[in-house]
Amino acid sequence: MYYQLINFGNEEFHAYPNKSLYWKRLNTLIVSDLHIGKSISYAKNKQFLPPYDTKEILNKLYVCLDKIKPSNLIIVGDLLHDVFSTLSLKDQDHKNLSKYMKNTDFIWIKGNHDKNIQIEGFKNFTNYKIDKFLFTHIPIETSLFQICGHYHPKVKISHRGKTIFKTTFVHNEKIFILPSFGILTGGLDINSKKISDVLGMKNLSIYPVGQDKVYKL
Amino acid sequence: MNINKSNPLLLHPLNKWMKKKKWSWFPHQIETFRHVQSGSDVVVFAPTGAGKTLTGFINPIDDLIKLNKFKGLHTLYISPLKSLANDIVRNLEKPIKELDLNISFQVRTGDTTPYKKQKQKQKPPNILITTPESLALLNSYENAKEFFQNLKYIIIDEIHTFLDNKRADLLSLNIERLQTFSPNLQRIGLSATLKNKQDAKKWLCRKKSKIVSYENSVLPKITILQSKERIPWSGHMATYSINEIYKEIMKSKLTIIFVNTRAQAEYMFKNLWLINKKKLKIAVHHGSLEKNLRLKVENNLSKGLVDCVVATSSLELGLDYGDVEKIIQVGAPKGINRLLQRVGRSNHNLNTPSKAILVPTNRFEFIEAKAAIEEIKKNNLDKIDLKEGSFDVVAQHIFATACAGQFDINDLYVEIIKAYPYKNLNFNDFKALINLIQDGGYILKNYDQFKRIFQLREDKNIYKLVNRRETRKYRMNVGTIIENPMLKIKLGTKTLGNIEEVFIQNLSQGDSFIFAGQVLEFQSMKNNLVQVKRSKSLISKIPSYSGGRMPLSTNLANSVRALLAKSNMWDLYPEQITEWLKRQKNISKIPKKDEYLVEQFPRKKNFYTVIYTFAGWHANQTLGFLLLRCFKEFNYKPLGFVANDYAIVLWSLKEVKEIKTILNLGLLDKHLDNYLEETSIVKRYFRDNAIISCLIERRLPGMEKTGKQVLFSSDLIYTVLKKNEPDHILLKSSYEDAKKNMIDYDRLREILKKIDKKIILKKLTSISPLAVPIILEINRENLSKKETDEYILEDLEHEILKEANVLSIN
Repeated sequence: MYYQLINFGNEEFHAYPNKSLYWKRLNTLIVSDLHIGKSISYAKNKQFLPPYDTKEILNKLYVCLDKIKPSNLIIVGDLLHDVFSTLSLKDQDHKNLSKYMKNTDFIWIKGNHDKNIQIEGFKNFTNYKIDKFLFTHIPIETSLFQICGHYHPKVKISHRGKTIFKTTFVHNEKIFILPSFGILTGGLDINSKKISDVLGMKNLSIYPVGQDKVYKL
Repeated sequence: MNINKSNPLLLHPLNKWMKKKKWSWFPHQIETFRHVQSGSDVVVFAPTGAGKTLTGFINPIDDLIKLNKFKGLHTLYISPLKSLANDIVRNLEKPIKELDLNISFQVRTGDTTPYKKQKQKQKPPNILITTPESLALLNSYENAKEFFQNLKYIIIDEIHTFLDNKRADLLSLNIERLQTFSPNLQRIGLSATLKNKQDAKKWLCRKKSKIVSYENSVLPKITILQSKERIPWSGHMATYSINEIYKEIMKSKLTIIFVNTRAQAEYMFKNLWLINKKKLKIAVHHGSLEKNLRLKVENNLSKGLVDCVVATSSLELGLDYGDVEKIIQVGAPKGINRLLQRVGRSNHNLNTPSKAILVPTNRFEFIEAKAAIEEIKKNNLDKIDLKEGSFDVVAQHIFATACAGQFDINDLYVEIIKAYPYKNLNFNDFKALINLIQDGGYILKNYDQFKRIFQLREDKNIYKLVNRRETRKYRMNVGTIIENPMLKIKLGTKTLGNIEEVFIQNLSQGDSFIFAGQVLEFQSMKNNLVQVKRSKSLISKIPSYSGGRMPLSTNLANSVRALLAKSNMWDLYPEQITEWLKRQKNISKIPKKDEYLVEQFPRKKNFYTVIYTFAGWHANQTLGFLLLRCFKEFNYKPLGFVANDYAIVLWSLKEVKEIKTILNLGLLDKHLDNYLEETSIVKRYFRDNAIISCLIERRLPGMEKTGKQVLFSSDLIYTVLKKNEPDHILLKSSYEDAKKNMIDYDRLREILKKIDKKIILKKLTSISPLAVPIILEINRENLSKKETDEYILEDLEHEILKEANVLSIN
């Protein structure tokens, strides 16, 4: 798989077009905002989205795990969309997940969507520190380098008279935001107030995700 | 002879009023009255000014007077436009008030206040004037049956606007519902003149039915603008003739200038003001303008307070502006019916001809304008093709039915297939649509505990709504008209109107654009509001509106081909047109009316193939994509193509040798499916389908994305669904929509069926005169969205890398 090399906090990370991030030195895979079961949670409000998102997200994750065989998998929040989402995890899904857990340490950091939900066999944390890096769903006040999710960043690109929106990895000097690994999840412009309050507008490193490639702007 | 027997209307309650006005009954009014009285459904075809509105009300008023103080709803009048509905009320008011008849009548549209609506439900008027959407809503209320059970007549106005779209589907389903409520209901349709009158009758009427027709013998006077300037090779803005157009406005008391797109309207308006030395009062009117601005223009128009209005189809239907003296049509007429409708906006007196001037904006349009004038002389109208009913509208109707109360699916099915567009709907598809409303209708049954409608345990055929809360969702979602995502434009605190989100996304702060006739500078976008300020900038973009473009009608296309081939007519044309055609004849060929000219020539290292199909731009666009695929297969290394109404041009690195063997039906059969897979066409229709069928909720203007919940796009849903359940009913439905609209499948099929025997292939050494206009339209490569995205990213990355290198060297 083609990846984009990203240097953040003096460490090398690989950004993949499937929206996962890999920290090679520690053999750690990082994903964010899977929003598993979003469709079922919408269904309770009678918005019947195709109920295939959970299956697709998990399959995408399994492909990563099979290929990379990481020692750790860090989920930086919003693994699940809400309390109803657990309904979309079938017995087989639980079996598959525990199979992967044998070789990979799953570190589930709670997000705003899944903070009150438990899944059997899943360890969960409000945030997680490795060396000078803090993994957290939403950035907090700290001097550490932070790797987080929550915002589903997208970048607006205007070039030669055309404008497109692309899901993106983005970071400033101290804060790294991952794109959403989910299927039915939308995005937020990195220039929007919510994201610029966190990252500022200047000196951003932006890595839009293309079809088979992560670009660098 | 007993005069009363020859004209039964002499005894009609309105006769006194007619006499006072010194009017007499039209023959078609007498005929309609007789047929309706004998129990027939009737469609009346008559031009504007022939008392059409009154014709519809003759029987209802007669009956209401006979019934004496009838309580409850007696007659329903359906109008395609809210503004028209208000106008009908004003027209009806005159005789009823002046004769002091004991008949109540009211209007009910989206603009009616909730209080008034509530009152109407408690105490319905005898005559209710409304729109298809409001009717659908009325039918979704629990007491709909009581409300409509004594309904005697339903009148559909401007029925020709309802025949070929989803609104027609919605209306026809609701008419059948009314018929169920009130079995003796009679249907009366009012229409402008149509070519296929029988089709309109089939669409509206039950078995016992009649057509009544009145043709105006006074033909409109239509001319082409005599310009001293040269008509340009290509383009659509008529800049060359602006001074002459201005002179024409000065000559008449009140002129409407019709253009084809909103962009043209803004452009024309701006250019007229630039040369408006006489300070004429010129206004602009199009569908994106804020309602109040539009109403103001309409008001000024009917009071004669303006000298000229530049308008799009937004003024085609609607109020009668009696004082309009002249119509100027800028740009191609595109169709005979449309041109007649527009021309008919001037002078509503039957005995004097309407006056119109056509302003072609390029050379092909000149021929088109000429052809249109010929066809109007021959009264050769366009056929309006009835469409098969769309699935998504049925889904919405099922939801509405459930809102009104529990229902038996077999009864509902039987009722639906009585509606003409749905006569072929099979039960399996219908059941799939029931499931779609129930829980999305997916094979993977994940939503059992969340159903919207459910089957009763004691009778599996009876379905019921889960809870009353759902009715609110239906009511927010009713209707078949889906706007592109629009944003409100604010100048200070004043709202100017709505603009397509896509256009705004392409602007940067400080860019200027024209809207509502003003040059505006884009400042910011917040919460779906676009903040602008006035600008003095001379360079400005014009908003493009994707919906504005319609293809050349088959009928007019045939006429254009015939006219082109008539070389004895050429000398009557302006010199540059004559010259153009003569040179074409010498260098290449003018195709006969049933021939398809294909020209091939080298140009700037590339090889060009131009095919003159006259198929309209939708079909040509499709053909272009199909040929592109096919050329790739033959290894001609195609680079791109451009299509317009008349022709397509493809350019490639290698010579295209097998064009004669390529152009046939096989092209469609072999490549269409792949083409649909690759482009975003079906995806675009999926959005409409998902909204109309209430799978996803409509984002109403002004409704904001709530902070937490990032709205999912219909594109994401489409992708997931397509991958996991390619046979889902909504995908099927979207595919059908795409096929009918953007692809123009049937038309392309007709052409490809006969084209291979009629190709005239000309191998030239350079570009031909006829090819110049379309070659000029080539401005960018046509890549699919996916490819474009990647291309933009790659290119930008490349540029930045280059820039970075340069910087590091420095």
